[in-house]
Amino acid sequence: MRTDQAARPINTRRTPHSAAAVGLAKRSIVNITRLPSAFLPSVLMPVFQSIAFAGTFFAIIQIPGFPTDRSINWFLPLGTLMGAGFAGIGIGFSTIRDLETGFYDRIRLTPAPRSALITGPLAAALIRAALVTTIVIIVGLIFGARPTHGPTGVLFLYVAAAGIAALGTGWGLGLAFRFRDMRAAAIMQLTFFLLIFLTDAQTPLFIMDGWLELVARINPFTNVIRLARLGFLDAPITWNNIWGGLIAIVAISALTLTFARRSLARLSDS
Amino acid sequence: MSETALPIVAEGLQRYFGSGDNIVKAVDGVDLQIQPGEIFGFLGPNGAGKSTTVRMLTTLLRPTGGKGRVAGFDIVSEADSVRRNIGVALQDAAIDPLMTGTELLRLQAVLYGLPKAQHHQRAGELLERVGLTAAGGRRVGTYSGGMRRRLDLALSLIHEPSVLFLDEPTTGLDPMSRISLWEEIRRLNNDGTTVLLTTQYLEEADQLAERIAIIDHGVIVRKGRPTELKAEVGSPTLFVTVDESTHQIATGLLAKFGELRPSPEGSLGVGLHEGPSAVSNVVRELDDAGITVRNLELREPSLDDVFAEATGYRLEGAES
Amino acid sequence: MTSPVTTAPLTPTRAPAETSTIAQTWALSVRSIQSLLRQPSLIVPSLIFPLFFAALGTSSFSRATGLPGFPAVDSYLDFALAGAIVQGILFGSTTGATALATDIENGFFDRLLASPSTRTGIIVGRMAGGMAYGAFQTLFFVLVLLPFGLSIKGGIGGVVGLMVSGTILALAIGALMSAMALLTGSAEAVQGAFPLLFIALFFSSAFFPRETMSGIYGTMADFNPVSHLVEGMRDLVIEGVSASALARAILVPAALAVVSIALSLRALRHRLGAS
Repeated sequence: MRTDQAARPINTRRTPHSAAAVGLAKRSIVNITRLPSAFLPSVLMPVFQSIAFAGTFFAIIQIPGFPTDRSINWFLPLGTLMGAGFAGIGIGFSTIRDLETGFYDRIRLTPAPRSALITGPLAAALIRAALVTTIVIIVGLIFGARPTHGPTGVLFLYVAAAGIAALGTGWGLGLAFRFRDMRAAAIMQLTFFLLIFLTDAQTPLFIMDGWLELVARINPFTNVIRLARLGFLDAPITWNNIWGGLIAIVAISALTLTFARRSLARLSDS
Repeated sequence: MSETALPIVAEGLQRYFGSGDNIVKAVDGVDLQIQPGEIFGFLGPNGAGKSTTVRMLTTLLRPTGGKGRVAGFDIVSEADSVRRNIGVALQDAAIDPLMTGTELLRLQAVLYGLPKAQHHQRAGELLERVGLTAAGGRRVGTYSGGMRRRLDLALSLIHEPSVLFLDEPTTGLDPMSRISLWEEIRRLNNDGTTVLLTTQYLEEADQLAERIAIIDHGVIVRKGRPTELKAEVGSPTLFVTVDESTHQIATGLLAKFGELRPSPEGSLGVGLHEGPSAVSNVVRELDDAGITVRNLELREPSLDDVFAEATGYRLEGAES
Repeated sequence: MTSPVTTAPLTPTRAPAETSTIAQTWALSVRSIQSLLRQPSLIVPSLIFPLFFAALGTSSFSRATGLPGFPAVDSYLDFALAGAIVQGILFGSTTGATALATDIENGFFDRLLASPSTRTGIIVGRMAGGMAYGAFQTLFFVLVLLPFGLSIKGGIGGVVGLMVSGTILALAIGALMSAMALLTGSAEAVQGAFPLLFIALFFSSAFFPRETMSGIYGTMADFNPVSHLVEGMRDLVIEGVSASALARAILVPAALAVVSIALSLRALRHRLGAS
């Protein structure tokens, strides 16, 4: 049965990082559209949340000193960030599915650079977050939202959404690699939910009372939400209101993406 | 040939799970030397350590101890080079059900760094090779078990690897699908691909592998060519069918050639001490005694016997 | 349905005919509560989330209670309790229906049908389990929030009123989601329908008074039965026991229950016809 032909030449072809990342991002985007049960809520929930909060808490804008006179302006950025976060965490979900079915082994078997296994899904999350942000803004405009600082102001919302999606992706991937089952999904959702709500999500800091104000002041996500709201509030956009959010995004994303990268390496330990 | 040039080498490969009192020695010192162009069968029951060994050799799992080289590269320090040169079809053919066959092949081509211009052609070739051209545009979720295995094989061939790992490639397949997969494996081997195949089917190892290793409780208990291993078990069994009336005389004559063995109803069985060459003598003796031989069958020891002798038990569902 | 295969483990094999219905229903109620308790990941959210939001709201909206349209309350917590109870029961009742859908998916439901249990026992058992859990949730929220400054003007009578209301609401929502489970036989579909309940909750006066809402939101809240239910329960907390409060707190969920039980019976008949 054995043929005596010479051994095949050693394959030394390196997989370009960019090609692998694009390939994985594309797959992630295509797959999400094929799972309507996961896709529809991820788009509809942030839209619903923006509108429902704006409607149900309509009266808070009457509190003296409230930074906007449109409740949708106040709640739209929050809904957007929730959507962006779940775009990131959704990457964690689909990775859990890949790990559970074993398909992730097939991806790990390829010589694609390990960093591309993080940046590919990250790119997909950023695209999803941008899509969700755009949809929420369009629906928000219909429901009365009015950007107060033009397109530049809205840009800050995209930046904040991208940041939340990035840190959500790192967190989601890292937990998926550590737990490799749906336990990870529960942890990612719960932690994200807590962190995003223990902020000035519902009312400005100066209106709050007691413990929440304390927690919200030290919670870096408060800075991110402030960044997201810049283009929708009456106050002028100042550097003071920007840098805290930017630092929070960069620092937390760096942390969670490093966590993801390390946890990926640890997959081969067990 | 120097060891580094061998496609697969393992030296004292170990993998333990857990720690302390709960430590499980899934693989406990496996040595392998697989020759270029060989089909090597890795045989053992579920949980014996086959898959764990394959996961280590294919860089999915870091070994606890020992060394491994695949395609000339260290499986730990040169994992990337190993990955570039091996193809792997894992147990259960775990493929994303949401994607189509063509999409999966193209993604695979991207991840293996194939030039973009080749993607389309390569995907088409491989689909044709495994007979899935018509199903290429369908989502994998709609595929049958056999189709999934064939696609999985095609995925592992995208970069024309010189070493192929197949982890239980036919488990759960119907006989027809199994045979067609066997043919494909032989074809790949004829093209010069070295194949390491794990299986819990004795027949599969016997059919395909030039050499086999039997693993049990994380340790290799037998290694060699199937024929040699069978020969080690001992003599072949000769089954003779004669008229009822001559049974007694025939039994006496047969006993001279070796110990009597259990046999199907109506026939007599004897283990030939001197091997197959003794058959003509048996026939002559019976003929000289005036006994008419109705039927004669010589059966070699099977891998089942080898396995049973090596491990002390028989694989479930093994062919006798 | 196939021949009478294995008997469901909890069904007494040779129970006297006259007690069997009650015994079976009891056994099935116990089973539904047990299965709920065995999955902390399912019940914990139904206990924690409403408390979290109540705490969050109390801290966020303390100043909002002075706005025009807000009833006179000592703190937002008193105002928020009714909404928290309803929210918790929406979570909890969905869990029970999801379990029913899972039973259908994995065939346990068919085995129950094949066993000599009564048809109604199967459904009533589940509902009874859900109702008991709804009463428990109500009491749990009240007891946990009392040390944090919750005051209930209606006193013991008010708490009892809340529990009755919560129990009936659990029945109404449980039956509604069970109808969904029976119709689709898919746990995913039941979970997918859950956001609809959430929409009903958010477009009501569960978190802020209707009087503070404007335009379409206000109109939707006016027509939403959840508003009237929550306001009835809320009045038991912030005003005291009154005929009007009790009527809204109990009759609204009771009316919902009648409709959703009718729906679930139809769905059961549909499923029996289909299998």
